[in-house]
Amino acid sequence: MTFTYKTLAMSVTAVAAMGLAGLAQAAYPEDDITYIIPFDPGGESDVTARFQEPILEEELGVSVNVTHRPGGGGAVAWSEFQNSAEPDGYEIIGVNIPHIIGQPIQRNDAGYETDDWRIVTFFHSTPNALIVSDDSPYDTLDELIEDAKENPEAITLGGSGTYSANHLDMLRFEKEAGIDLTYIPFSGTGPLKGALEGGHVAGIFNYTMLGTEMADSVKVLAVAAEERVKALPDAPTFKEQGYDIVGGAYRGVAVPKDTPDEVVATLEEAFAEANRQITEKQEPLGFVMEYITGDEVDEVMAMLREAYGPILEEAE
Amino acid sequence: MEMLLEALTSLLTFESILTVLIGVSAGLFIGAMPGLTATMALAMLLPFTFSMEALQGLIALGAVYMGSIYGGAFTAILINTPGTPSSIATTFDGYPMARQGRAYEALAAATMASVVGGIVGVIFLLILAPPLARLAVAFGPSEMFWVAMLGLTLVASLSSDSLLKGLLAGCIGILLSTIGVSPVGGESRFTFGYPPLQGGIELIVALIGLFVIPELLTMAAEGRGALPGGGELRKKEVSIAKIARHIFSKPVNLIRSCLIGQIIAIIPGAGGNVTSLVAYNEARRFSKDPKSFGKGNIDGVVASESSNNVMVAGSMVPLLTLGIPGAPPDAIILGVLLMHGLRPGLDLFTESGVLTNGFILSMGLAALLLLPVGLLGGRLIHRVVIRTPYYFLVPSIAMVTILGTFALRNSMLDVGIMLILGTAGYFLRLIGIQAAPIVLGLILGGIAEQGYVQTLMAAVVDPIPWLRLVSNPLSMVLAGMVLLGAATALVPMWLARKGLLDKVEEDSGGSS
Amino acid sequence: MIVRLNTDIAAGALGLVFGAVLWFPRADIGRLSIIFPRAVLLILTLISIALIVKGFVKPSGRQVEITGSPLRLVAVIIGFFLWWGLVEVLGFLLTTLLAFFALTWYLARVETVVTWQRMLMWTPIILALVGVFYVTFTEVLNVRLPSGLFF
Repeated sequence: MTFTYKTLAMSVTAVAAMGLAGLAQAAYPEDDITYIIPFDPGGESDVTARFQEPILEEELGVSVNVTHRPGGGGAVAWSEFQNSAEPDGYEIIGVNIPHIIGQPIQRNDAGYETDDWRIVTFFHSTPNALIVSDDSPYDTLDELIEDAKENPEAITLGGSGTYSANHLDMLRFEKEAGIDLTYIPFSGTGPLKGALEGGHVAGIFNYTMLGTEMADSVKVLAVAAEERVKALPDAPTFKEQGYDIVGGAYRGVAVPKDTPDEVVATLEEAFAEANRQITEKQEPLGFVMEYITGDEVDEVMAMLREAYGPILEEAE
Repeated sequence: MEMLLEALTSLLTFESILTVLIGVSAGLFIGAMPGLTATMALAMLLPFTFSMEALQGLIALGAVYMGSIYGGAFTAILINTPGTPSSIATTFDGYPMARQGRAYEALAAATMASVVGGIVGVIFLLILAPPLARLAVAFGPSEMFWVAMLGLTLVASLSSDSLLKGLLAGCIGILLSTIGVSPVGGESRFTFGYPPLQGGIELIVALIGLFVIPELLTMAAEGRGALPGGGELRKKEVSIAKIARHIFSKPVNLIRSCLIGQIIAIIPGAGGNVTSLVAYNEARRFSKDPKSFGKGNIDGVVASESSNNVMVAGSMVPLLTLGIPGAPPDAIILGVLLMHGLRPGLDLFTESGVLTNGFILSMGLAALLLLPVGLLGGRLIHRVVIRTPYYFLVPSIAMVTILGTFALRNSMLDVGIMLILGTAGYFLRLIGIQAAPIVLGLILGGIAEQGYVQTLMAAVVDPIPWLRLVSNPLSMVLAGMVLLGAATALVPMWLARKGLLDKVEEDSGGSS
Repeated sequence: MIVRLNTDIAAGALGLVFGAVLWFPRADIGRLSIIFPRAVLLILTLISIALIVKGFVKPSGRQVEITGSPLRLVAVIIGFFLWWGLVEVLGFLLTTLLAFFALTWYLARVETVVTWQRMLMWTPIILALVGVFYVTFTEVLNVRLPSGLFF
């Protein structure tokens, strides 16, 4: 072809573009990454992030800064993220289900949508557990159910939050067992311990973590997991006892919707590695490590939407 | 006993003592700055503790905590702005003292009271942890409701000038606390379609807004710095020994304040923000000269500062024995414990007994070190604050408060709320609506609501649901105390009003 | 500056306005969440009305005094809000430096005219003050301060 300035310009641009693209691909991450936790320091999401931080830094080769943006049960951080974060992979945010499923349905101004981002992975779950204190009259789940049938609404179960993982699974349990219980919402897991110890509630419907933390003074009547949780070997699952209830909180991280696939893949690997290395610290605390990425994420979301959706809509 | 001695030896290493010293100094500095609080200090220290051993990390946290609770007294006394919420009551008498030129006296009293309080708290933790813990869990939803009501009766006694305006302020505070996500229904309230408001109004934001900003605005408008005239240190006139003798000559005040501090410290959720106010109120109620409170009575400062330092170790009773955080900083300490694999409970005191006792004793050491650090630091801070011309002081404090408020939740909205509340607070002050009752309403509103709604939900099977509120013995005791407290606060006021009725009509101004 | 104002009526009126603002959104809020606020709103309204009545019958304060210069007061208030508003636009560091210089200059004017030499003398102090805090928060404490257009 004839040599003109135009072709020269075009070829230079083409080469430059390829170079830049290659640069962009190969270079992630080159700047510090901000890992936003939508809750207060000291909580489960925070503690996990602290465990993950050093390994992520090693894997990614850059500084990972954990910052907190509490408020509204996470909604403040999630809405801000969806509105203002750049899809370049330098800002990642912790996400919890079912919070991100429930809040947009329940509140008319949560400020964000369940699907308006890309969830990289769910790295662990804390299954729900029905816990009663050691001196409670119930030794097994069936005993509690019997009592509930005779005295509807008399048995009080405490849990963290309203229409949260704890509450939703308790509602499912009520439906499956055909009983009527009374749910008392508390503002977090902290107050639940006191409530149980002081006998202010008959039992609590919370996460397995409390079961391990309070191991010496409680009985775990049932766990909402597929199989028995390693940290609580003596606690039967709901499934074993005939009730198909599997649920709890899943925690993961998300990035903005249009983040490039390579960035997501890099993050997936880094978190998976972090998971492997912190397993021995987290499992004894009652966490169940998960490695849910890509399409599985959508499956889990769909499953939970199906399970909880109708209950949430009813509540509307 | 052996374990205690072992713990003591592990504490008396150069490394540990240095950690405590630095922790207390850093805590002092952070607590003194309006805008930075104990919880924030601990949250910021948290990442650093990961690289430390468990004991060192805990010692550092304990020392910073003790130092920052004490540090709040400095700015409370010198510029009428509590550095931490636990020092709100210190402003009531500390600032008037400073304006009378007795700043050093107030600072010294605050220091000694804090040392005593800190040590008492440690002793309670060491000796009485188990029974106190059992008391802590006796506080369920209905009890918490009454505790909140008890706290709200404080509004009545704190508003000595106009009861109605005080109650109005309290109501405003309670309503402000409802903005955000409701604790029981999980729905967002009063957000006016603006998602970031789901986070509600954070206590510290309101505290800084309502206490610090109006003070800054006053300084700017009047064109003066802190403590105009008469703000001299006057160290020569009053010696530390004399102040000490005065404080210890009134042991009842100290003992009562420390007890109040410990009991409120173990109530989950109420936390130290309220201890100083309750102790102050009781000190005034039992004093021989209640009218002098609010005008520079040193006993008020002593009551407030001793009780809030008891809270440091005292609130760890439910934390270490049951894993229930009594105050917000405890949640962070709990996080550190869990991270190092230490579970609260019996094990903590037996298997890891040396570590735990070392931690507890380190807080005692921190309390002791408050004396030298405080007296030296006090003079330094006093000099800086007095000598700094107002045209540097106002922007500097403004900057620190903006930074601190932002750093709380990484939210510029919080800064905006602070400024709005602050500007409003300035004008509210003019028409007689004080900041303290609003803040009190904010603190207690959430607790009252949760307690009330939770109790009624559980009582759904009862024939008369409201009776559940007084079904437990503790609830009955607390409810009785509320009635008693309200009565003893109101009755003298009615009597005084009746007796002075003629006099008031003569001078047309009256009180406002 | 003395403003003649019946403080009781003012306080009561304020209470009613505040209550009104919070009263209207209540349609969207569910049963559980509205019990408590509604009760408190009721009490607030009662107290406000009582205050207004008292203001007519036995007023406690008939005037309020704004000490110092009201002009300065308003200027500083506006200054603070501008500071806040500009942080997102210009970045924390730049905005704070500007605000600091502006406030210091404005407040020092009270005593005497502020000459350029004085401003120059102050510059290192201001830079140091702002700089130390900025660095402490961003580097030592890892707080991400808004960076706006510049830094």
